[in-house]
Amino acid sequence: MKALILVGGFGTRLRPLTLSVPKPLVEFANKPMILHQIEALKAVGVNEVVLAINYQPEVMLNFLKDFETNLGIKITCSQETEPLGTAGPLALARDKLIDDSGEPFFVLNSDVISEYPFEQMIKFHKAHGGEASIMVTKVDEPSKYGVVVTEESTGKVEKFVEKPKLFVGNKINAGIYLLNPAVLDRIELRPTSIEKEVFPKIAAEGKLFAMVLPGFWMDIGQPRDYITGLRLYLDSLRKKSSSKLAIGPHVVGNVLVHESAQIGEGCLIGPDVAIGPGCVVESGVRLSHCTVMRGVRIKKHACISSSIIGWHSTVGQWARVENMTILGEDVHVCDEIYSNGGVVLPHKEIKSSILKPEIVM
Amino acid sequence: MKALILVGGFGTRLRPLTLSVPKPLVDFANKPMILHQIEALKAVGVTEVVLAINYQPEVMLNFLKEFEKKLDIKIICSQETEPLGTAGPLALARDKLIDGSGETFFVLNSDVISEYPLKEMVEFHRGHGGEASIMVTKVDEPSKYGVVVMEGTTGEVEKFVEKPKIFVGNKINAGIYLLNPSVLNRIELRPTSIEKEVFPNIAAEKKLYAMVLPGFWMDIGQPKDYITGLRLYLDFLRKQSSSKLASGSHIIGNVLVDESAEVGDGCLIGPDVAIGPGCIIESGVRLSRCTVMRGVRIKKHACISSSIIGWHSTVGRWARVENMTILGEDVHLGDEVYSNGGVVLPHKEIKSSILKPEIVM
Repeated sequence: MKALILVGGFGTRLRPLTLSVPKPLVEFANKPMILHQIEALKAVGVNEVVLAINYQPEVMLNFLKDFETNLGIKITCSQETEPLGTAGPLALARDKLIDDSGEPFFVLNSDVISEYPFEQMIKFHKAHGGEASIMVTKVDEPSKYGVVVTEESTGKVEKFVEKPKLFVGNKINAGIYLLNPAVLDRIELRPTSIEKEVFPKIAAEGKLFAMVLPGFWMDIGQPRDYITGLRLYLDSLRKKSSSKLAIGPHVVGNVLVHESAQIGEGCLIGPDVAIGPGCVVESGVRLSHCTVMRGVRIKKHACISSSIIGWHSTVGQWARVENMTILGEDVHVCDEIYSNGGVVLPHKEIKSSILKPEIVM
Repeated sequence: MKALILVGGFGTRLRPLTLSVPKPLVDFANKPMILHQIEALKAVGVTEVVLAINYQPEVMLNFLKEFEKKLDIKIICSQETEPLGTAGPLALARDKLIDGSGETFFVLNSDVISEYPLKEMVEFHRGHGGEASIMVTKVDEPSKYGVVVMEGTTGEVEKFVEKPKIFVGNKINAGIYLLNPSVLNRIELRPTSIEKEVFPNIAAEKKLYAMVLPGFWMDIGQPKDYITGLRLYLDFLRKQSSSKLASGSHIIGNVLVDESAEVGDGCLIGPDVAIGPGCIIESGVRLSRCTVMRGVRIKKHACISSSIIGWHSTVGRWARVENMTILGEDVHLGDEVYSNGGVVLPHKEIKSSILKPEIVM
């Protein structure tokens, strides 16, 4: 079975992290974002994944070779020479997605994390016998999104309404699709939107069905949602395989610590923290609602909340880091510094406090 | 004869331009910064240039192969594994700089532009018979810099004073040195400052002499000085070989236009403008005190001053761009947008005005 992951472009919303690596390789819960999806696809029997990208394929390809070997799955890139939107890439990758088996293929949006209930989606798809299935997820403020209006009992999609002014429903497109090869005949090789051009046509013929995504969902393509997404993900991990989470008197709530990380004495870690490989968290450190990437050193008595600390950075003694501070790769925050929402580009040293949210270049 | 150019690190002050290429390859007056220096060195008989770098050697090496061929000069990289300061790199490159001939070698700071009177410097060095010569340049506010105090007639250096509080002189280190090989015996392979540790020792032995740099000088490592530097450089070009500058009824002052650029009707260009290869300036455009990099399109009726427009960007119709706006690579400013000092990272689209100086990521 095959799958396509819409990786897309520059990942500007996740800067400064994406100034160091392409977005799919930014780690989430100590694992590259795209690996979460590839593993879930592998688990449901997908043996070939196509990545639709339009930026930095060389960097991706090196990493992908590693994954291919480790996971025993074939991974290829389909490179757009011009941005093709959310449907065009499927046309571009047509030959890679169709073989003669007539099997449906998955399409995923690369920024999405969820429990990936792919087996249930396959059953749902077989049962309704339509041409395409999409996952939808419930949100509190549907007026900000594209709402999918469905028939209650069958899930048949009636229509899509972009940013509706009156309430028409609260389910939005979760960015996970299962499509019959026939869908590819509807897509031309040009910039095309799957939500605005392709799906409405399939829905009009009564052949598009929506399944409500069980469990959590988040688009982690920007820092605020990345941090919320970690909370949801660790929650889900707690329910499924809590042995992966850290335990001990220094741990509060859900915390993920890589086995090669070191944590000093007198720390208080959590809730909702991920600490990556090779990290050194010195004694007396307080961490909450944050991600600490590979190779970071947090010095004594520092206090970090609601922030992301990029690879190989250091946070100084007694430093206070909070309110969506994002440190890029190799950023060094000096002792006793305060950062209130500083967003710091790679290879910088911060010697004076950042009192209000701002970008430091 | 040999030379070392201190290229150094990340070029963060010249971001967002240096997010796309390493700093030595950022174009200045339509030529990579480092090429200005390498050409001046070649002209005085240097046959081998060593670049002391600690970041992105791979990107540099590809470009350098081209320069090597075109200029028929040998260019090699000496890569620091840790930042070695302003003198350490000389120790690291020792074997590349000494060949047993006993000849002196040049050392240049990569951010500096000037007229490079290197022949005069060679004669000055022979004349005094000392161990090292440095170029100094006159500035208005010496208290911001390291001042070189020298003897009036001979140029023999008495001492260096960092950021002097009382007036001791107005000549500062211009970042251009001519050194005897014996200087290398004074430098250990560790992070070292040439101004604070090495030169003062040589001066104490009365073997260091300073020559006042004739003509202009600028450290163009940050955008404001880059723009001032262009004015000084084009002024110099006017005096030397004004045929290189553009002429015509649509030109004011000193303007450099690459032969492959197109300028439409009714434009008014200048003073102090450089337009790079493949640029398209549509009709009715006003440009002053700005640099337009390779492949940029400026649409009709736009007005740009005191700004830098990065490679392959576009500026929309009737857009107004001023006050140190720096657009990175592939930035697209919409029609009628106003940018007052916006600093925009690569691969962005700007659809609404930037009313006060800020970074857009």
